[in-house]
Amino acid sequence: MADDNIKIVSFLCNWCSYGAADLAGVSRMEYPADIRVIRIPCSGRMSPKFILSAFREGADAVWVSG
Amino acid sequence: MKKPRYVREDRCIACGACTEKCPGKFDDKYNADLKAQTAIYVEYPQAVPLKYAINPDVCLKLTKDKCGTCEEVCPADAIDYTMTEETLSIAAGSIILAPGFKPFDPSKFDNYQYANFPNVVTSMEFERILSATGPTMGHVTTFPKLPANPKKKKDKLLAQKRKDPKKIAWFQCVGSRDVNKCDNPYCSSVCCMYAVKEAIIAKEHAGGDLDCSIFFMDMRTPGKEFEKYYENAKHKHGINFIRSRVHSVTEDPETGDLFIQYVDEMGQIVKDTYDMIVLSVGLEITQQTRDLAKKLGIDLTESGFAKTASFEPVTTSRDGIYVSGVFNNPKDIPESVLDASAAASAAGDALAEVRNTLTKEFPVVPETNVVGDRPNIGVFICDCGSNIAGVVDCPHVTEYAATLPYVTVAEETTYACSQDAQDKMVEIIKEKGLNRVVVAACTPKTHEPLFQETLKNAGLNKYLFEMTNIRNHNSWVHKNNPDIATDKAKDLVRMAVAKAALAQPLKEEKINVNASVMVVGGGLAGMTAARSLASQGYETHLIEKKDCLGGEALKLWKTAQGEDVQKELDALIKEITSNDKIVVHTNTTLEGVDGFVGNFTSQLKTDGKTTALEHGVAVLATGAKALEPDEYSFGKDDRIIRTLDLDKMFKENDPKLDTVQSAVFIQCVGSREPQRPYCSRVCCTHSVDNAIALKEKNPETDVFIIYRDIRTYGERELLYKEAREKGVIFIRYDVENKPEVVVEEECLKITLTDHVLNKPVTIHADLLTLAAALVPRKDERLANFFKVPLNDEGFFVEKHAKLGPAEFATDGVFVAGSAHYPKPVNEAITQGRAAASRALTLLAKKDSLFTSGNIASVDVQKCSVCGVCISICPYNAPSFLAEGRFAGKADVNPVLCKGCGLCVASCRSGAIHLRGFDTNQILSQIFALDEVS
Repeated sequence: MADDNIKIVSFLCNWCSYGAADLAGVSRMEYPADIRVIRIPCSGRMSPKFILSAFREGADAVWVSG
Repeated sequence: MKKPRYVREDRCIACGACTEKCPGKFDDKYNADLKAQTAIYVEYPQAVPLKYAINPDVCLKLTKDKCGTCEEVCPADAIDYTMTEETLSIAAGSIILAPGFKPFDPSKFDNYQYANFPNVVTSMEFERILSATGPTMGHVTTFPKLPANPKKKKDKLLAQKRKDPKKIAWFQCVGSRDVNKCDNPYCSSVCCMYAVKEAIIAKEHAGGDLDCSIFFMDMRTPGKEFEKYYENAKHKHGINFIRSRVHSVTEDPETGDLFIQYVDEMGQIVKDTYDMIVLSVGLEITQQTRDLAKKLGIDLTESGFAKTASFEPVTTSRDGIYVSGVFNNPKDIPESVLDASAAASAAGDALAEVRNTLTKEFPVVPETNVVGDRPNIGVFICDCGSNIAGVVDCPHVTEYAATLPYVTVAEETTYACSQDAQDKMVEIIKEKGLNRVVVAACTPKTHEPLFQETLKNAGLNKYLFEMTNIRNHNSWVHKNNPDIATDKAKDLVRMAVAKAALAQPLKEEKINVNASVMVVGGGLAGMTAARSLASQGYETHLIEKKDCLGGEALKLWKTAQGEDVQKELDALIKEITSNDKIVVHTNTTLEGVDGFVGNFTSQLKTDGKTTALEHGVAVLATGAKALEPDEYSFGKDDRIIRTLDLDKMFKENDPKLDTVQSAVFIQCVGSREPQRPYCSRVCCTHSVDNAIALKEKNPETDVFIIYRDIRTYGERELLYKEAREKGVIFIRYDVENKPEVVVEEECLKITLTDHVLNKPVTIHADLLTLAAALVPRKDERLANFFKVPLNDEGFFVEKHAKLGPAEFATDGVFVAGSAHYPKPVNEAITQGRAAASRALTLLAKKDSLFTSGNIASVDVQKCSVCGVCISICPYNAPSFLAEGRFAGKADVNPVLCKGCGLCVASCRSGAIHLRGFDTNQILSQIFALDEVS
């Protein structure tokens, strides 16, 4: 991957943010392709472990949304 | 008759390619005509089914046989210009009518100049202006009716004058409570509340400086939590409420500013200027609906609403035809939802005997055991026509997928969701012995169940599936960067494959549902629920703490529609006591409840003896009671009574009523006060109705109603009108300046400030009726038994204020009647039916109710008994095991678990696993973020 590409790991709650990301697509909005979505059943599922792991794997940012 | 869509529903994939080049245009109804849309369109983005349609009036192909572009560009070959109207014949046992309403069209009102002034808009238009998906993307601006990028010269000039409004006014009752300028004598019930909401949101969008004023006659916020919302609007958001009906509007043609003139409460003429005026338009029944009613032979009221009786509030005048929503009188969302559930129950009751006689069993393919097998993954990459393949290099992604660990098959398909692709998928799974499947396509939120069904048909457990979204989250949002989108698709597929490799077959636990029901509360709502459930064949136990059924309704005289309550109530009680499916437990209290949905055990105490009752679901209908007022000298003189006491006098035909010369009603006694900040909903109509009865008894009697706002919502407004016509005198008071009551031997003296004269007036009365608040029982014990919440005032809090008004967040527990919020006879019965209807959805699935497989489970060996999971779970799913080898360790009840994962994330010992979203699966996705180099 080129150096100017950043990677944002996005943990999206299935019920709200994941659906919102779907709707952004239906509405044909455009946004940078830097995010990699990981669907979680609820933001309550989020664990600090996941955030640390994502950074360790080279993520430039972690976004938890729910 | 089904109108043609000109688009085949079975083929349309809602990609939207057809709209891009469509030259036909027409007003977008969803956006209140503020936007144009193409001739081939989808009504709104959330439409169900999400399938396009062609408007034949503006389509060039259908009108002039030109164009045909959509047919050329449609990747799914879904366009069919030859479609015609179809007449479908459906054999049905019951019919439910829910045709809705149309907003009143104010164009014909020349005083408000809606048709001519660009800054006079309707509330429906303003609703869209506030919406993030509306024509201005939520930005409140003047001249909203102009196109975003105007082409006409005149429009361009006007558009330059666009500004952010500083002052907006709402005019209430436009097309409602009006028989002069239109024929709508009724109150539309919803406009006060939506105007308050629009004003608050407008201020939120525009910032604190925006000045919002609502011009109204009576502020009608009688719904649950509405009064608090109204108070907040006044005090927290600074919305101005002006009690005045504005006569007319003029405009500065240069700026578009609007001038109004009105008379304030002190009788002064006030002139003011506004940037925008919103007309709060009422709800109307369309001619089409009236025609439909005529065709079906059902009776309507003069205003076109379906005629229903208070004791059968969703049943039309014709057997087997039921009604719900605004067609059954103007109403808000929660009441419409209740109506819908109630109509379903009424329709179902009539058909109880033939339930399940037309159902067909689906053959089940035996499941292959894959536990312990090496993952053998098949990846299916969907092109979605050109939706994905037009941006993402799908052949390349497919090639890449084939190189990933454990992947034995990688296939590209044009439409993975089409029937032939599904059949092929089953074939490939069987042929290659796949034991995990990944589909890279659209969103799992709509398509996961479909593919899981395909897995089942191939004999695989449906949880051996993973879906990744390379359309909504990728090709659609990065369409100008195909290379980057292709890279992203590869990443997403790699992550999905990594997760799928760890997928395990999951079991869905069967939920055993005890087919009997407990209804707590033998009032109208409780009895109605019990009757409906019993008529559907379920054994129902009706618990009443008193010695007889009937509840507060026993004290009522007649309904707002004039029906004799005692006669109807008697009939209902007889029906209940003679129904062999209903066991009535009078003199009985509830002493404890154990268990959960499908499996409750309740302890009933009757005459000191406790018995256990096992039941699958429960309906709570414990009602409310009238307040004992501590003001207006209540209790100090027998001429000062409450509404229900007056009802008693009417019921018994008390001779004292014949001697009443002057009767006064005081409204809002104990309601809409700081200690009880809610409106009791029923009192205005009740007092107005009783005032009419007094006038009918003796037209010479002076009758006064002292009120704050008269809240005769819906067609109850007709009673208010009738009362005024009969000479009932209405005098308004402010809560800061309440009437004073002095008891004297010869008469009661009631003194208050008249708001027209602004002077104190004294009324000499020989009967004073206090419209006392309805107070909930605030039964905290009962709430704790079922783990259901009470609000600050002590009413039960339903699952969802709008969409779940008859059920609790606790599965298997339902709510009805005034325990939820004060309600009149017809609404209590509607909610009783609705609660039964919701309960039935569980009971009817008695043999086929399963939990999800995606739930938490405890590895008892690791559990350190810290109890965090138990304290944190919002659904009370975890508990400590009471017995067995692992007694004391935590265990998650699969029936109660919603699979949110809160306990999993909180477990300090790592003892809890969330099946399908387990820690190792999410970590595997994180580890697969980058390619292994």
